[in-house]
Amino acid sequence: MKRNALFISLIVLLAMTTLLPVSVLQADGHCEFADETITIGGLAPLSAPGAVAGGVAMDWAFNQAADDINADCGVQIDGVNYQIDVVTGDSEGSPERGQAVTERLIQEDQVDAMVGVYHSAVGLATMGMLEANQIPTVFSEPWNDNVSANGIREFDGAPPRFEDGIDHIFRISPASSMVGSVVVDWLLSLGVDDVVLIVENTDYGQPAAADEAARFEAAGATVSKIDVELGTEDFVPILSRIQARAEAPDVIRILVTGETSFNLTQQMSELGIAPTEDTICVTNQFAFQSDQYWATVPDGNYCAFNRVGIIPSLFSDAAVELNAKYEEAWGDIIPSFAMASYDAVYILADAMERAGSSSDAAAIVAAIEATDLELSQGRYYFDYGAHNPDLPEGTPAFMWHQWPDPIVTVMQYYEPGQSGLEAAVVYPEVYQTHGSSYIVPGTSP
Amino acid sequence: MAFFKRFESTIDNGIGRRRFGYIVLGLIILFFLWFPNDSSQSNYAKTVFISGFFYAIMASSWALLAGIAGQFSFGHMAFMGIGAYVAGLIARDGIVFATLGIAISPESISAIGAIIIGTLIAGLVGLVIGWLLLRLRSAYLALFTIAFSELFRIMMLTEYDYTGGSNGLSLRPLLQIADVDTARQVEYYLMFGLLIVCLLVMHWVANSPIGLFLRAMREDEDAASALGVNVVRYKILIFVFTSMIVGLAGAVFYSDVGSERIIPEQLEVLQMSLIIAYAVIGGMESLVGAAAGAFISRYLLEATREVVIALPLGLTTSDGSGAFVWETGAWRYALFGVIMVFTLRYMRNGLLHPIITWFSGRDLIMQETVSKRKSDDDYDDQPEAGDE
Amino acid sequence: MIIQDTLFVLWLLAAGPVWAAIGMFLLPSVNKGSADKDQISTTTLQIAGVISGFALGPLGIGLFYFEPALIRRTTLSAGIVLTVFVSSQVLARVIDPELPSGLWLILAGPLWAALAAYFLPRQYRAVEANDQNVLTAAALGGFAIGPLIFGLMWQRTPKISRDWMIALGSLGAWQIYTLFAIHNPANPCVASPFHVTYLTQQTANGIVIGAIYSLMAVGLTLIYSVQGIVSFAHGQLYMVGGYFSFYFLMHSSNFLSDLTGAEISINPILGIPVAAVIVFIMGALFERFFLKPMHEGLIERVSEYAILITFGFGFFIEYTTLAIAGPFPQRTDRFIEIRRFTLQRAQITDDFAFGPINIIGDRAFAMVVGVILIFALLYFLQRTWTGRALRATSQDRQAAAVTGINPTNMNTLSFGLGSMLAAMSGAALIPIFAWVPWVGAEMVGRSYVIVVLGGLGSVPGALLGGIIVGIVEALGAGCHPDPSRGAAYKEAFALVIFALVLLLKPTGLFGREQT
Repeated sequence: MKRNALFISLIVLLAMTTLLPVSVLQADGHCEFADETITIGGLAPLSAPGAVAGGVAMDWAFNQAADDINADCGVQIDGVNYQIDVVTGDSEGSPERGQAVTERLIQEDQVDAMVGVYHSAVGLATMGMLEANQIPTVFSEPWNDNVSANGIREFDGAPPRFEDGIDHIFRISPASSMVGSVVVDWLLSLGVDDVVLIVENTDYGQPAAADEAARFEAAGATVSKIDVELGTEDFVPILSRIQARAEAPDVIRILVTGETSFNLTQQMSELGIAPTEDTICVTNQFAFQSDQYWATVPDGNYCAFNRVGIIPSLFSDAAVELNAKYEEAWGDIIPSFAMASYDAVYILADAMERAGSSSDAAAIVAAIEATDLELSQGRYYFDYGAHNPDLPEGTPAFMWHQWPDPIVTVMQYYEPGQSGLEAAVVYPEVYQTHGSSYIVPGTSP
Repeated sequence: MAFFKRFESTIDNGIGRRRFGYIVLGLIILFFLWFPNDSSQSNYAKTVFISGFFYAIMASSWALLAGIAGQFSFGHMAFMGIGAYVAGLIARDGIVFATLGIAISPESISAIGAIIIGTLIAGLVGLVIGWLLLRLRSAYLALFTIAFSELFRIMMLTEYDYTGGSNGLSLRPLLQIADVDTARQVEYYLMFGLLIVCLLVMHWVANSPIGLFLRAMREDEDAASALGVNVVRYKILIFVFTSMIVGLAGAVFYSDVGSERIIPEQLEVLQMSLIIAYAVIGGMESLVGAAAGAFISRYLLEATREVVIALPLGLTTSDGSGAFVWETGAWRYALFGVIMVFTLRYMRNGLLHPIITWFSGRDLIMQETVSKRKSDDDYDDQPEAGDE
Repeated sequence: MIIQDTLFVLWLLAAGPVWAAIGMFLLPSVNKGSADKDQISTTTLQIAGVISGFALGPLGIGLFYFEPALIRRTTLSAGIVLTVFVSSQVLARVIDPELPSGLWLILAGPLWAALAAYFLPRQYRAVEANDQNVLTAAALGGFAIGPLIFGLMWQRTPKISRDWMIALGSLGAWQIYTLFAIHNPANPCVASPFHVTYLTQQTANGIVIGAIYSLMAVGLTLIYSVQGIVSFAHGQLYMVGGYFSFYFLMHSSNFLSDLTGAEISINPILGIPVAAVIVFIMGALFERFFLKPMHEGLIERVSEYAILITFGFGFFIEYTTLAIAGPFPQRTDRFIEIRRFTLQRAQITDDFAFGPINIIGDRAFAMVVGVILIFALLYFLQRTWTGRALRATSQDRQAAAVTGINPTNMNTLSFGLGSMLAAMSGAALIPIFAWVPWVGAEMVGRSYVIVVLGGLGSVPGALLGGIIVGIVEALGAGCHPDPSRGAAYKEAFALVIFALVLLLKPTGLFGREQT
């Protein structure tokens, strides 16, 4: 009896390793590849409590980029073709796990470079280790201002602090100040002076809200801020509180992510708070994924949202193709961070080709600094780095190793069920598609 | 089977199972002591072990509280968080009692001082909560501790001006060693030492008369009380004791030993449920079993992220390689849930229990804890089937 | 690793935890005769040892060592001084004592509530009076009228009726409301003349969402009443119910559209029975395989086993759903094509108007569905043979068995029905909320609050509890003095109520008295 129990326990413990497989990697046969491969580490939240939906999209983009590069004969260094392989580590959205996984990628998988991350807290926590191990890194989604070349742990506005002049971390996602300024400029140009910010209490929401609030207040507008916890479903009590104000606010700006923001937007429009003629509804980049948006916010017509990345009407062929692949895989429009993640792998591959090495960190960093590459999100280049170390007075320190123009636009839906690709771009004026800087609810451009 | 039988009789006729068990245990400890000196192991492996030790402390102290003392608390992670947050806040802000004119500046508090204060406060809160919980049993207790834990998490998240919100709170680093490799080695031994010390102390408590009283109370509180066991005192005592252990573990682990900052997400019910699952799989009534359960479960959850299955007989997949690769994703947690349910149903004392039993040569746990539920008038008068 | 803080080191040497430990072991061992004479228990001796050692080191221990007679009074005074000191520290940080609320905190409020809740039940027990409800009344009384409650209850120990509690509770609520009005005049809950409309609006919000919450909680309470266990898989069954409805609606409308060639959408109300049937079967099967052995005496410590096994079941459901459905939010079509019902503004007098009041259309519909289902369940429990058998089993298993009811089947039925109710509320809410695999976590926490508030095992209690929790959440978020934090603490308001109910009246509003 006891011995049976012993064997059962061993069998159950082993059961985990005897399950059937599902997916198979694809590769093309027309290129001659060297035996060694170039390994790039990816970092994304693939399980809770991280934002799993964002993480799987990033993971998909990393692997898609590697597949596309390999289909095009990989990375050519000294006339030899190297296959590229992305190993994605699961940060679980926690700095502690992020650090541990980064260490694993560096030490066990021997990655030559890194791409990622989704959560800013993870980015902040891993930067020290990436720097210490001299791993060229292109961050594609953290927005926190402090995640940039200057800010290991805390941001102090000081110039690059690495004495040997090498600084391995680059970012192609915008700093949240860059996004906030566009939205705030747009709203101020529409003449708003009474703003309600609804903010998730996370490392994305709070710094972004602080930045936008400061900008509004500097322009003389009154700002009230409402914190909400991610995962809240019912917002009616707090929305009723907004509704009970003597005067409706001019704008409600939602700095909440994921399904929580969809619930909030839907309840807001069901209650008739925004979008209305009095109140502008501004949500965020999550609204661009129109299938998810319309499925969960059927009444969200006329909501504006900020978006990062090239506007759909200017999509290059590469971007259209990538979007088609994403739609095939996930049934929705590609989010900007998947595009950026895809491009990040390409930037690294391109830099390695130009550096003529996949392991010489200093050469790769120099090559990334010299990047001039047209990819799905537009033309990539870096203004400030070792090649141009002096930031002029007044330039924020986060511009170091920062792609200076992730295009940030404000878009607006004007028909229910409209695809994100067809939504109107309303700001900045140069990108306007429908000749109008705000579509008043009930009208069409 | 035959081989196993031969092996069994060799052991029985030779040194005896018990002694053999001690040898195996010694070898395991030696392995852990030797491990960081293996130059082929990366620092990452040490990091994984360090957090494994941390979760082993959490799981085994939960086993003491819930398995042995029968106090089914979901608040374990919250007490860990109290230890870590208090240590971090004190090291950042110092201690100020304005009315008494006492002000201790943060600079004068060392990392150890902060950890000690964190541990004491965790114990103090444990005392208050333990006292409040006296009247509550099983499901009510579980629900109350969930509420307490969630309240604590929401506060840490929302009062970001003080706690850093979801950016987390940095604690004062306990060790300041510049060289990464040496630092990791020291951290490894520190956490392992903490685990061993905690296990020894908890083992001592569990096997002292206190442990006996606790078990008696778990089986029948009224009877134990009638026999002169001071139920109130031991209930509070064990609550304070385990709260201090996890508070200490949390404060040490997050003082840049295992992680450099504590975040509120760490206090979510999900994290707590993982600890419970570790303890259940390892064996709820065995401290070492729970600790090993945590260690092995974490290892397996990590190892099964990607399952590679080599095909036999020279078969190949469509891309020409000889193996399938399966990204397990959420499936591995689903499987983990299945294992937990089946462990509970069919191997109540954990998957490691048969192994421990084999070594000890007798059924250690069952004999002490068999309770005669059949006489309980709440249930049908069906005959009780034998357990083993 | 040097301890830099000399003050700290000094304290560690001269007093502190080491001496506290010494005191704890030393004091109980000595001067037994004197201690026995004064009837000091070992616990008191230990506590005294810890406190004196911690604070004064050897001095303190020595004092008590030689004069045990001092212990009781000193420990008590030290406790009171410590309590007053700590609370004054806390209060001084939170509130300016110059303000009316500072006065209130001194004259009444939580401190007096705690003192009354500690001492009054003791007094009742000491004079062997009927102490039913005393704890609740004492806490409410201390909160509302401060030391006066001691005057009312100490000497004559009157029997506490429900009227007492209602009177004291409303007095306390009125005080809080007044303090609000004084401190936070701009708060929409007190700012005349809008506050009547606003409070009505928030109460209506609370009632609508609360009735929806109830449906899920009723399932929990049903399982408890028959089996005596709390299902920790309830949130996941709720979540999976929503997904079953979603997939059923999606596939059947696709199928019909393909068949007819026209775009056909199906009202999500049809998803409710589908989810109900599937999850009923899931729940019943789970009960048969994993909970039945528990009732057959095969398992020790039933309640812990039940918590863990249902917990594991929920864990499994959640991650399986995540693996299959993915992390992307889903939602079905709406029930009715009306965005909101509005009660228009009415000018009552020249300076007082009432309205408008808004209720979201789909929510109102879901509330009606929820209430109908709860009444259907009540009808089933009261009027059908099976329902009566269920109730009989919940009241007395053995008596029920004698009359020919099979308790084993009743267990299965109750778990199946309870799971079904969770799934039905999931299917009723997926048109209202964006649905993800972890959607059950927040909801189930609330259900626990509801069932404990209403009394575990009571169906009407769950309905009332749901509405109370809905109102508390709405008013809490709506009236929180800091508008920016109100919504973030929404979940916390219910948890505070929960903790208070568990501590003061674990049987809830309608619960059976515990044995």
